[in-house]
Amino acid sequence: MNKKTSLTPYLFLMPALIVIAVFVLYPIGAVVYYSFTQYNIVTPPVWVGLRNYQQLLHDTVFWQALKHSFIYLLVTPILICLSILLAIVVNRKIPGISAFRALYFVPVVSGSIAVGIAWRLMWDRNGLINGLLLSANMIKEPVQWLAEPAYTLPIAMALTVWLGLGYYMMIFLAGLQNIPEELYDAALIDGCNSWQKHWYVSVPGLRPQIAFVAVISSLAALQVFNEIFTLTGGLGGILNSGVTMVFYLWRKAFRLNQAGMASAIAMILLAITLIFSILNMRLLERGTEQE
Amino acid sequence: MYKKLFALLSILVMASLTLTACGGAATPAPATPEVIEKTVIQTQIVEVTPLPGPNPEAVIQNVEDGAEITLWTFWLSPTFDEYIKSTIARFNEAYPGVTVNWEDHQATFQDDLKNAFAAGNAPDVINLSISEGWVSDYATQGLLLPLDDVVPQDVKDVYFPNLWDQQVVNNAHYQFPWYQGIIVNLVNTKILTDAGLTVDNFPKKIEELPAFCQTIKDKTGTLCDIRLSVNDLLAQMTYEGGVKVISEDGKAFTFDSPEAAAWLQMYVDMVNAGTVDKTALVTDQDRVGLDLFTSGQAAFYNTGPNLIREVRANNPALYGYLGVVPAPVGKSGVVGKGLMALSVKADTKYPNASLALAQFFSNPKSMLEFSKIVAIYPSTPASYDDPFFSMAPVAIEDSAKPYAKDAVSKLADILPTVPHKAEVNEIVLQAVQQALFNGVDPQKALSDAVTQANALLP
Repeated sequence: MNKKTSLTPYLFLMPALIVIAVFVLYPIGAVVYYSFTQYNIVTPPVWVGLRNYQQLLHDTVFWQALKHSFIYLLVTPILICLSILLAIVVNRKIPGISAFRALYFVPVVSGSIAVGIAWRLMWDRNGLINGLLLSANMIKEPVQWLAEPAYTLPIAMALTVWLGLGYYMMIFLAGLQNIPEELYDAALIDGCNSWQKHWYVSVPGLRPQIAFVAVISSLAALQVFNEIFTLTGGLGGILNSGVTMVFYLWRKAFRLNQAGMASAIAMILLAITLIFSILNMRLLERGTEQE
Repeated sequence: MYKKLFALLSILVMASLTLTACGGAATPAPATPEVIEKTVIQTQIVEVTPLPGPNPEAVIQNVEDGAEITLWTFWLSPTFDEYIKSTIARFNEAYPGVTVNWEDHQATFQDDLKNAFAAGNAPDVINLSISEGWVSDYATQGLLLPLDDVVPQDVKDVYFPNLWDQQVVNNAHYQFPWYQGIIVNLVNTKILTDAGLTVDNFPKKIEELPAFCQTIKDKTGTLCDIRLSVNDLLAQMTYEGGVKVISEDGKAFTFDSPEAAAWLQMYVDMVNAGTVDKTALVTDQDRVGLDLFTSGQAAFYNTGPNLIREVRANNPALYGYLGVVPAPVGKSGVVGKGLMALSVKADTKYPNASLALAQFFSNPKSMLEFSKIVAIYPSTPASYDDPFFSMAPVAIEDSAKPYAKDAVSKLADILPTVPHKAEVNEIVLQAVQQALFNGVDPQKALSDAVTQANALLP
């Protein structure tokens, strides 16, 4: 192979490599460095070693945020189950089914900030939820849902599920349409009812999609921010009831001007998401090997 | 020969006779001088080309010729594009040769500005919020230009002294006071009427609020839309509760005094009585509280008259029921501090041009022009001499005009310089939430917060 030929592929790769270096590698390197500094963004960083990490270990709000982020991972199995159910429902050849599929996809293309504000109004003291509950005589006076610490996280999680449902439904729908009809016919011959048909054919057939959705939805859940910010009016919920890792990172960096501390949180979050990604990828590989 | 001579003589004689006959007397009489008196009216057009004189608005000397400076404003575009552009055009007449690049930044203003400072390309002239404490925040980090030695005394005297003396850091001034707001309460008179109240019953003092909210809740079921300044609770307890937040020597925090506990207890009582909207009470965003009022779900909201335009635009039906009352006064006796300022970055390449622009935008003429298009109030006493401010108010947006000069002259920043202000405010916020929503005794919550805050001090 002559010199010209050996350089050609690298030249083709160069634009992408430059973009990745500038927008991914350099920022990651900078965050690693800042996590060992005291840095308020406007004045030069000062090296403090491991102090930020040590302070985080004794920070009760950080542990609360970490706990909330792990609780938030519950959206992943909920999303998988609901998306598969929805995909099975819309995987029928009936007139107008395309309209239903499009309708379920609408939240995905809506901006999460706009949807978050709409949800905040819905859960407001004079919002839709209280209106329905009052008219059904289930409550006697309006509840301030978003001002109750116990409800902040569940409402935010419900919003995340609602926002993502259509997207994951499409992935499972594509998977369902790739499962050969003969397998369902065989299941019928073997005496499976409708429920058993999906349990023994559809779900195993969707294993690659389930693994994929598990990876991306769990990563998204660990990085949730918009839903919390819009629903809690920027506070993070009363008594930090809605504070997650990324929200706490934002608060440290942009409200308290502690970019060094925020970088340390980002590093811990990076480690957690890396572990999750590796575990999920292993799961995906195992599923593929078994097939 | 003789014949020819005779003919010639004859001709000469005839000619002389003819000439004599045509002429006057042979011996002319001496001329008599004639005096004629006439009035002559003469119109003369004189074209005068005057030499250029000093522009009265050009009060900063030695502005660098060819300077190119950047101005950042906070949330003024597109509504006030025309005003900003025309003021820059006037500035160019006063200070020819200076190029001004204007940018407006909105929700991300603070992030953009911090990033710009970090990147070394911060704007030369910056619109900073006094009410949010931005001037002192940036000044304490050495990022703003001290004005004391570079601004002539007669220019300093253009502003209300109380406004000029705001956010002083280490005895240095860092801001030209810009447009001001008068804190008022917008009132939904329909809800008040339903509660058997009128605007005259509106509390004059902060401590009257709990009883007022209880009446409104009992009669109408409506909750009060009161918002704590969650980003600066130290300031709020200073103004409302008359709390001294730090010792004179700056070595210990003192916001766990009986005054502070009483201030917090007032809000705890309102939460326990269920008379306030808890979401609005601790929101980070003014818009949440304003939206609640604008949608007709609250009896009143504490804001500036300039935001009446939001009510008019978003709920014209409520606009008809709108009332405006002065904000209740806290135990400090001071209603509030100023609103907006213009500062110059410390390391600007063109300090004089930047000072000139900051001063120009805040001079009496610019301020007056701005006041005419929106309900803001000048930081310059001279602006109030214009008949615009003495005219009787027509629209409800103008209702604060008659007492605006007096109100603006009493605005003051009474919060002392607080070290680690953002962190201490965060500690106070957590303590306040513990008291409001977790049943912790206010005195204990504040004492714990003081212990934490003192640990930040050297």
